[in-house]
Amino acid sequence: MQKTILVVDDSPSVRRMVSMTLKGAGFAVVEADDGRAALAAAERSLPDIIITDQNMPNLDGIGFIKAFRALPQSAGVPVIFLSTETEDAIKAQARAVGAIGWMTKPFNDEKLLSVVKRVAG
Amino acid sequence: MIDDPEGQALFEAEARQLTESLEAGLLALRSATGDRALIDGVFRDLHTLKGTGGMFGHAALAAFLHDFETAFEAVRDGSLEVSGPLIELSLKAHDHVLSLLAGGSPEPGEQLLADLGALRRAGTAAAEGAAPRRIRIRFAPDTLSLGGVPGIVLDGLRELGATAIRPLIGDLPPPAALDPAELHIAWEAELPAGIGDAELAEVFLFHEEALEILADPAPGAAQPPAEETGAAPPSAAEAAAGPPRPRDGAMMRVSAERLDEMMDRVGELVIAEARLADLAARSGDPQLVAVAEEIQRLATGMRDTTMSIRMTPIASIIGRFRRLVHDLSQALGKEIELRVEGEETELDKTVIEMLADPIMHLMRNAADHGLESAEERRAMGKPGTGTITVRAQYSGAEVLISLIDDGRGLDAARIRARGIERGLIGPEEELAQGDLLKLILEPGFSTAAQVTELSGRGVGMDVVKRTIEQLRGSIEISSEPGHGAAIHLRLPLTLAIIDGLLVEVAGERYTIPLAAVEHIIELPAEKAEAGAAPQLLNIRGKLVPFLRLRQLFRSDGAAGPHQKVVVVMSGELRVGLTVDQIIGSSQTVIKQLSPLHATQKTFSGATILGDGTVALILDVPQLVAFGQAREEREAA
Amino acid sequence: MTGLSSSARPTADAAGGRDMVTFRLGGELLALPTGILREILEPVRTTRVPNAPDFAPGLINVRGAVVPLADLRVPLRMPRPPADEHTRIMVVELVLNEIPSVVGILAERVHEVTSIDDAALEDLPGVGTTWPPQFVIGIGRWQDSFVMLPDLDAIFSAHLAGESGAQPTSGKDCLP
Repeated sequence: MQKTILVVDDSPSVRRMVSMTLKGAGFAVVEADDGRAALAAAERSLPDIIITDQNMPNLDGIGFIKAFRALPQSAGVPVIFLSTETEDAIKAQARAVGAIGWMTKPFNDEKLLSVVKRVAG
Repeated sequence: MIDDPEGQALFEAEARQLTESLEAGLLALRSATGDRALIDGVFRDLHTLKGTGGMFGHAALAAFLHDFETAFEAVRDGSLEVSGPLIELSLKAHDHVLSLLAGGSPEPGEQLLADLGALRRAGTAAAEGAAPRRIRIRFAPDTLSLGGVPGIVLDGLRELGATAIRPLIGDLPPPAALDPAELHIAWEAELPAGIGDAELAEVFLFHEEALEILADPAPGAAQPPAEETGAAPPSAAEAAAGPPRPRDGAMMRVSAERLDEMMDRVGELVIAEARLADLAARSGDPQLVAVAEEIQRLATGMRDTTMSIRMTPIASIIGRFRRLVHDLSQALGKEIELRVEGEETELDKTVIEMLADPIMHLMRNAADHGLESAEERRAMGKPGTGTITVRAQYSGAEVLISLIDDGRGLDAARIRARGIERGLIGPEEELAQGDLLKLILEPGFSTAAQVTELSGRGVGMDVVKRTIEQLRGSIEISSEPGHGAAIHLRLPLTLAIIDGLLVEVAGERYTIPLAAVEHIIELPAEKAEAGAAPQLLNIRGKLVPFLRLRQLFRSDGAAGPHQKVVVVMSGELRVGLTVDQIIGSSQTVIKQLSPLHATQKTFSGATILGDGTVALILDVPQLVAFGQAREEREAA
Repeated sequence: MTGLSSSARPTADAAGGRDMVTFRLGGELLALPTGILREILEPVRTTRVPNAPDFAPGLINVRGAVVPLADLRVPLRMPRPPADEHTRIMVVELVLNEIPSVVGILAERVHEVTSIDDAALEDLPGVGTTWPPQFVIGIGRWQDSFVMLPDLDAIFSAHLAGESGAQPTSGKDCLP
C-alpha cells in the first residue's frame, strides 16, 4: 500500500523540495501551508506520516502537534518535527507534545528519505 | 535535485579532480600503509565527493560513497589497518565511482560494499578481540502512540547482524495497572563486534534513548574465543579472499523431501501466525499486537526464504527437451531446431517437475503433426529446418511458458468436424477460434486412427490439460495456418503460499490472490442494482466487464449500498468482481480442493483463516475468462 | 456387486463380526466400518461452496486441513431434517480418484461402535425402500433393528463421475 505523508511548511520551496523527494520515492504527499490547514487535512484523511515545520502563521508546529494528538485517531501516526540547529529547547518541547523525533534544517533529499524510511519501515 | 547546467559542469570538473586525487592517494598508500596524511587525504576526497554528488542529484553515487566512506572512517580511527586487499577493493570502488559518474549501473557496487564491509568487520573484530556486545532496547512507554514501530528498529539491528534478539516482559505492570496503549516490553540482543556507533545511531533514529549497552568490552580486554571454538577470526586477507556471500563452492544439496516438509511446516506457521494476529487484534492489547507483528514478520521472512529455496530455473529441464528434439528429428526424418528463450525463469520445483512431461508431449505433437517435411517446407518457401521454440517469461505473479512451432498450424475446420463427430460440440454450435482450438485438449478428441508411433503413446493432450489445471494454470492455443501454432501455458509462480485479499460477499469470506488485483473502486450507484445492463464499468477510459459475486455465488439477501469492485487481471484481460466489503490482506496458505469439488471452476483452492474457518480462493484466470466470454456473448 | 477389495468395505475380524459405527440418517439406522473412521466431531462452522452439489455442499477445518463435508442423504434419497444438538460429523478416510482423501460425513446422531455379524448381512429387499440399490452393500441387524450399510465407494465414485444427479443446473451467471 502506498503511504501518504502530510508535509506542513509555510515555505513553498521547502514544501516543493520535500514533496518531490517523497513522491520520487513512491510516497503520496499532501501539503499544508500552516498548522491550521494541516489539522484540517489530517482530520479529513489521516496520513501515515506527518512532517511539520515550527515557524508558521496561524498555528505553529508545536501547536499543531498538540492539537493533532488530541484527536483520538492520531495514535500511531508518527510526526517528524523540522527545526533549525538553534532551537534545542523547542525540539524537546516537540517530543513532549507528541513528535516522534526531529530533523535539523537544512537537509538534503538523501537524509530526508533515510529518515522517512526509518519511520515508515 | 538542482537543475542547473552550469553547476553540473562545475561539479563534473570537480568530481574528475577528486577521483584523480583519490586514485593517487590509494596508490601511494600501498607502499606507505601507515601514512596519516595520505589516509586523511583519501577520506577528505571521499567526503567531498559524497557531499557534492548528493547535492547534484547523484543519489546512487552518494549512497555508494557513504558506505565507502564508512570503511575509511574505520581506517582513520585506527580500528582497521590499511592492507593490500583493502587497497585493491578501494581501487575497484574508485573505478565504480567513475562508472557511476558516467551514468553506469549502481549494481556492481553492492558486491564491492559487501566485500568492504566484510573486510572492515573482520578487521575491527580482530582489533576488538571479536567480542560481541550485548545491548538492551527499552522504548519509551508512549512509543506506539507516537507512531514508533519497534519492529523497524529490530529489523535494523538484524541487518547489522544482531542475533539472539529476545523480548523481556519483566517490566510488565500488574494487569490492574496495565495501560494497553503503552509499551512495556524491552528486548535484548547481541551485536557482532565491529558495529560502529554511527551505524547504531542510524538504526536507533528517534529512539536514541531506547539503547542501552550492557557489555561493551574495551578493545582487547575480552577473551578471544578462538581457542575455545576452534574457529579463528578471519584475518583481513582471508576475508578479502573469501567474500561473505556463499558462492558456488558453498552450495549444499538438500533432498526435495526435506524442502517439502519445510514448506509444510512454514505453511502451518503461517496459519498459526494468522490466528495469533487475529487474537491480538481483537484483544486490542498493544503488547500482544507488537509481539504478533514481530512473529508475522519472522513468518513472512521464513516463507520468502523457504520459497526462494524451492525456486528452480526452467533450465533444469531443458536438457531433456534437447535430447527429445534430437531423437524426434532422427525418428521423423525432419530437420528440427530447438530454440530456448528465458531458461533462467524460475518456478517452484514442484511445478517444474510436473511440467516436464506435458511440455515434452506438446513437443512431440508439434514435431509429428505440426512441422512439415523438409521438401514440403521448401515448396512453401520456408527454410527446410523446422523450429520449435520454448519461451518462458514472467507475467505478473505468473509464468508464461509458450511452445511455438513454425509448422503448418492447426486446421480449425478439421478440429471442428472432429469435435462434432466426437460429440464434444453440437453441429450448430459456434465457438470462438481460441475455444475451438482448445477442443484438442479434450479427452476423447484423439482417435486411435490418428495415433502415430510418436505422439500416440504416454500422456495424451487431455493429460496435458489435467496437469496444467492441477497446477492452477491455464492453456491458450493460437494458430496461423501455414505459419505455425503456439500453445501458451500460464502457471502460478508457486503453489504453496500467496498473499491474498480477503473480501466479504453476503456474510461469507473469500480470498483473491493479491498479485492479480489491479485496483479496488467503489461500485457506481447506477450499477448497484442487479440486472442493470450493460455489466461494464468504465475504468480509466477502458470498458471492463464485471461479475456480481453475489449472483455468481447465489447468495441470499440484497447487497448493501457501498459495494466495492475488485478489478483483477489475468494476462492482458481484466474483470471486475463486486464484493460487499474488503476485509484486508493476509498470507494465504493454499489448500487444494478435494476431488469432490474439482468441478468448481470458480475456486482454485481454499485456505484457513485466523479464526479457524475455511475461506475459498477465487480462481482469477477462470473468472476473467468467464467475464470476457459473457461480454462477447452479450455483444454478439 | 463388485469384490470387497476396497477400503470402504468392512473387513471381518477374527470372530467373524465387523466393527462398525452405527448412526442415524433420514431417520434410518446406518453403519460404517470403524476402520475408515478417524474421529467424530461436534458440528463446526461450515463454509458453503457456491454452486456445489447438495451432496458436497461445504468445507470444514479438521485440525488444519480443509475437508469436504458430504451429505449421504442426497444420493440415498432421504429426507433432510435440519441439524440439531445430536448432529455430528464423522471424519473418514477414503480414496477418491486414486487420491487418499479425508471427508466429513454428516450424521443426525451417532450411536455406538458395535460388531455386526457379516453372515447375517442380507441383500436389499426389492420393494419397500426408496434407497438406490447400487448404493447399498446390504442390511444387517443391530439391537433388534435393521441397519443399512451404505456403499461409500459406489456413492463417491458415482458423484465423481457426475452421476449423482445432484449437480446444480447451470445458470446464466454460473461457471461450468
